[in-house]
Amino acid sequence: MSDTGPADMEIERRKPSFWRNLSLAWLIPITALAVTLFVAWQTWLDRGQTIEITFENAGGIVAGETTLRYRDVIVGNVEQVAFVPDLSSVVVTARLDRTIADSLPEDAQFWVVRPEVSTSGVTGLTTVLSGVYIEADFAPSPGAGFERFTGREEAPLVEPGAVGTRITLRAIDAGQLSVGAPIFHKGIEVGRIERPELLFTRDGVVFDAFIREPYDELLTSATRFWLTSGLSLSLGTGGLDVSVGSLANVVRGGLTFDTVFSGGEAILEGQVFELYENEDAARSSAFDDPFENAVEMSVEFEESVSGLTQGSAVTLRGVRIGTVAAINARVRENDERREVRLRATLSIDPGRLGLPPDVDEEEVLDFFSEAVRNGLRARLGLQSMFSQSLVVELVELPDADPAALVTLPDTPPLLPSVESDLPDIGATAEGLLTRIDNLPVEELLDQAIATLASVETFVADDALRDAPGEFVALMADARGVVGSDEVQALPGEISGVITDLRAVTETLRQAEAAANLVSALDSVSNAAQSVTDFAGDISGAAGEFTDLITRLNALTEKANQLEIEEFLASARELLDSADALIDTEEARAIPQSVTAALDEARGALADLREGGAVENVNAATASAQEAADAIREAVETLPDLSTRLQRLVREAERVVASYGSESTFSRETLQSLREVQAAAEALSKLARAIERNPNSLLFGR
Amino acid sequence: MEDARHATQVLTAHAAGLIGCTSCGKVHGQGAARCARCGMPLSPPDGRSLQKVWAWLIAGLIVYIPANVFPMLRTTNLGRTTDNTIIGGVVDLAEHGDYGVAAIVFIASVVIPLGKFAAIAYLALSISRTVRLNADRRHVLFVIVEFIGRWSMIDVFVVAILSSLVTLDFTATVRPGIAAVSFALSVAFTMVSALSFDPRLIWDNEYPPRAKGTEA
Repeated sequence: MSDTGPADMEIERRKPSFWRNLSLAWLIPITALAVTLFVAWQTWLDRGQTIEITFENAGGIVAGETTLRYRDVIVGNVEQVAFVPDLSSVVVTARLDRTIADSLPEDAQFWVVRPEVSTSGVTGLTTVLSGVYIEADFAPSPGAGFERFTGREEAPLVEPGAVGTRITLRAIDAGQLSVGAPIFHKGIEVGRIERPELLFTRDGVVFDAFIREPYDELLTSATRFWLTSGLSLSLGTGGLDVSVGSLANVVRGGLTFDTVFSGGEAILEGQVFELYENEDAARSSAFDDPFENAVEMSVEFEESVSGLTQGSAVTLRGVRIGTVAAINARVRENDERREVRLRATLSIDPGRLGLPPDVDEEEVLDFFSEAVRNGLRARLGLQSMFSQSLVVELVELPDADPAALVTLPDTPPLLPSVESDLPDIGATAEGLLTRIDNLPVEELLDQAIATLASVETFVADDALRDAPGEFVALMADARGVVGSDEVQALPGEISGVITDLRAVTETLRQAEAAANLVSALDSVSNAAQSVTDFAGDISGAAGEFTDLITRLNALTEKANQLEIEEFLASARELLDSADALIDTEEARAIPQSVTAALDEARGALADLREGGAVENVNAATASAQEAADAIREAVETLPDLSTRLQRLVREAERVVASYGSESTFSRETLQSLREVQAAAEALSKLARAIERNPNSLLFGR
Repeated sequence: MEDARHATQVLTAHAAGLIGCTSCGKVHGQGAARCARCGMPLSPPDGRSLQKVWAWLIAGLIVYIPANVFPMLRTTNLGRTTDNTIIGGVVDLAEHGDYGVAAIVFIASVVIPLGKFAAIAYLALSISRTVRLNADRRHVLFVIVEFIGRWSMIDVFVVAILSSLVTLDFTATVRPGIAAVSFALSVAFTMVSALSFDPRLIWDNEYPPRAKGTEA
């Protein structure tokens, strides 16, 4: 049953699976392939997309090197520079970053950035080393993906990405402007202008200008532009006024705008503005514009209107109310002859007269006809004292001949005019000038010059400069005399003599040689008498000394009252006399002689006392008499000395009185005078003592 | 093996039922798992090793393409960047008149690698009997490939040296490009490919093991 074993299994060696047999090493090439493909894909992505830009010329562009930038970031590379089929321009093929290329709108702008030195500054300096590059500017619009463009020849006026308003300016002449000249508003640069273009259809030039955000909001229909050359020069009553702006501004020229009147309306992109020559013209241009309800009137003038131009102001009491719209001549039929009269058409703004802005013409004319009835007249006036420009003044002359506003069929109402007083103004000015001319200005000046010259000579005189120095020296001398030991010792010596005399009389009294004394006493009495006389003199001198002291006291008070001429004269005089005084032998001899006399007296009295002999008394008294005589003699010269001193001091006082109190000179002087005063006081004290008791000189009591 | 080219009839180890050590050449019996002398694992020559050869070779070929397409050297001179591919560099050198250098670069970077690819491919094909080649010639080819392999990195060395030497910041800078890496990889892959080649197959193929019985 079980003989039937299982059938022999056909064991077939399983063929090794293709996959099992596969070596892991195959992963290597697969990985390598993947990586390579990835790199290739990346590279392809990086390659970007090509665009074509057509330029007039391809100056500086090198295939493979020149880069293409957007907002100064490299976004592409020039791959090829070729010509268009007819060779009229150059096609630059550039490969751009894919995202950039996708966003290129149709009006994308491309231009070549080259190094450029202009009055606006140096630009593109980096391109000197790196070579030129192509700058792109566009408003990104994803998905647009335009691929063909026409390149600009120069960088656009507006830097890429700037937001603002573009306007058009119109001017008669662009001579003062260059490309890229700045536009200012109140001194701040807010925009640029582009290359001026000549207008063939009419006189003038137009150029585009760009005002950056947010300044473009300042632009309204009331905005006016004017040229600012950077150098302004005006001559007026305030003198010459020169103002210089920045150098770049002077070279490039520039524009300024401002809103010159209120009520402007918002403007549109590309609005046309007039460009005025200067600020005044721009500001006054507000009147050039036809106002909605400007009223036209006309005035006829018989005189010359030279100086009155179209655009001249019409003023009422100095306030501008309108402008001269036109001037023309008219033949007027008079009664029997025809004459030419000049007629100015005035455009008057009722708003300026204080009338409501929406007033109608009828009302304005009513207003004027009433004003004319009340004396309103037109006349010519000078714009300013120094200009020949004329304005039309509306003046109220109640005394004027009656007139009325004349309404004419085909012309504006005629305003009556009066003759202007222009010539009077001229005459007055001329008269003023003549009077100025007649002023003896030159003589006055000559005299002044002469005076100044003499003053100068006087001041420059060396003697004048030396005078104080000399006076100081003199004072020093004087002080030396007064302060010398001899003079100082004088009172001491005198008192020594008196002591000796007292001793002598004592001896005499003790000796009781009265009889013989009589003659001696007489002599002594004589001596005493002369001493008394001297004392009297001294007393007089003392009085004078007191006077002197008073004067000295007054001296300092007078110190401030200075009169230079007087001072110099008296200083010279004083110097001379002081010199003379100091130089006199007498002055020098005084102290010696006094001393000598006293010495003699003392010697005699000493002899007398020492001798003790009555016999000698006679001789002694004779000697005493001699001594007394000598004393008197010496003393007699004292008043002379004090007088001289006094004179000296008086002169000194005069000088010092006319001198400043602060100078060294006056200090010195005061000190000297004080010493003189001390000497004089000592003398007067001595004199007073002798006067009080003359006998004390003899008797010691 | 030196006499291999003279001998026309050789008994291979495999044919003799033995295994030769790939490392030291000692011949072992069938049962041995490791070389008794050097300790390397022993394995009989296997056709699968050819797969490795092919794999590495193809990897080397793949990376050889970017090595030639992408720039090898990125030279920055005064702010101007120039990319040079291998062929571009050779042409530049030749234009400058440096024919010798151009020739060396050309041979080292183009001729040798391509020759190596061809040689290895030819060897592998001859093993799998797609092409017929004498075992002696196969052997010579293999020796040449092994010898040349070490010289193919010249390019990479040149780039490496240049990049490290010429780094003058703004005035001149040399940087290796993608191609340098690719080329190095390519050379490395072909070397691995050559190494993966089991030289024993050269002989096995000529004298297949099953011929053993007839000989015995």
